[in-house]
Amino acid sequence: MTLSATERARYHRHIALAEIGAAGQEKLKAARVLIIGAGGLGSPAALYLAAAGCGTLGLLDFDRVDLSNLQRQVLFDSAGVARPKAEAGGERLAALNPEIRINAHTLELKAANVRAALADYDIVIDGTDRLATRYLLNDACVLYGKALVSAAIHRFEGQLMTYVPHQGPCYRCLFPQGRDGIVATCAEAGVLGVLPGVLGTLQATEAIKLITGVGEPLIGRLLTYDALDMRFQEFRVSRRRDCAVCGDAPSITEPRDQDPAPAGDPSGGVRRLSAGDLQELLQTRAPLLVDVREPYEFAAGHLAGARHIPLGELPRRLAEIPKDAAPVFICRSGGRSLAACAMALAAGIASPANLEGGLQAWAREVDPTLAVA
Amino acid sequence: MSCTIRIASPLRSYTAGAASVAGSGATLSAVLAHLEAHYPGIRFRMIDEQERIRPHMRLFVNASEACELTAAVRDGDTVHVICALSGG
Repeated sequence: MTLSATERARYHRHIALAEIGAAGQEKLKAARVLIIGAGGLGSPAALYLAAAGCGTLGLLDFDRVDLSNLQRQVLFDSAGVARPKAEAGGERLAALNPEIRINAHTLELKAANVRAALADYDIVIDGTDRLATRYLLNDACVLYGKALVSAAIHRFEGQLMTYVPHQGPCYRCLFPQGRDGIVATCAEAGVLGVLPGVLGTLQATEAIKLITGVGEPLIGRLLTYDALDMRFQEFRVSRRRDCAVCGDAPSITEPRDQDPAPAGDPSGGVRRLSAGDLQELLQTRAPLLVDVREPYEFAAGHLAGARHIPLGELPRRLAEIPKDAAPVFICRSGGRSLAACAMALAAGIASPANLEGGLQAWAREVDPTLAVA
Repeated sequence: MSCTIRIASPLRSYTAGAASVAGSGATLSAVLAHLEAHYPGIRFRMIDEQERIRPHMRLFVNASEACELTAAVRDGDTVHVICALSGG
């Protein structure tokens, strides 16, 4: 793929690098990269890959721009609030670099559509905010032979690793299994706005290295970043022979959606209450309400009479909950409270209940005056 | 044996926000028992009822992965507790 005069001018600083040169820039022009999740990580990754001249760039996200995104998602501006992210982000990228092709996919990634979603791309950037999607994406990339550059963030900390099928471990080799709710999301725990800027930019760097063949990709090496200590660390990770998807005898042979409550999962015995169900319950009884959010969230607003036990303290404070109390666990969106239910069940507390959708659902369906941080 | 333990961000609510805490023990098992004594409940987040490292957690002694709780810890080592993160 040859470069036009305009492209030679635009990418001059790349071409001036002996390691990249015109040949490397032509590889970038021929590259097809899909960014899953136009969020904190996807924003800088998309901007830098577009600016770098990545010839075909896909941007996949099912969500819309929210005002709270703008603190870190630099792909969007205030005028874009409420617009579909893929569409608004695609326009920004096209304005940044009209020489490349932008594909906007407003789509929620599922097992049923992941093969088609990945088909036209060679490299995938994982910038999702759910573990279920991370595992789905990893499995699909292993099965369909796509390189995956994955990063994740939490508060002031980030992780990065590059997975190339048959050249090193995959995400399941690193973390064989995980479930949403075991760790608070960025919405629940908070995140330093610039943190995904660092990690997303590193993802773009890894993608450019894979495309141009320069440098040593982060295969089999987990890079962690602690912004507070300003500390990068690296850990060697090996392929697991018993890995469920890339091991010697894989049990996962096609992408699958994560079962919300698989057999054997203690959360399977949890009562699930909608906001309306809880409202009815409160009118007839006085169940023990346990709010497992962080202190700042509880301080912003909570249900009357709720006991506050942050999820991080729950394992050592389970004794405060009588075994027969049938407590109702509450958080912001229902993830942490489900994890709390599982802990309670494991500790022998009978019939714990989860407020599905959390206090966000309560504020939406029952009491709009409740402030939910 | 004294060591340093680096705590994963999601578990720092147990250590009052501290990213690093002092540890003690000649094996990973002993280090985690010492950690639990000072920060009750934290071990349960890493190790399940069958004494296995939870599948969304990884433990490293310095830069080397520790797959078993019998892994040796030497004076001056750093034990890293790494947790799967979902944020994007």
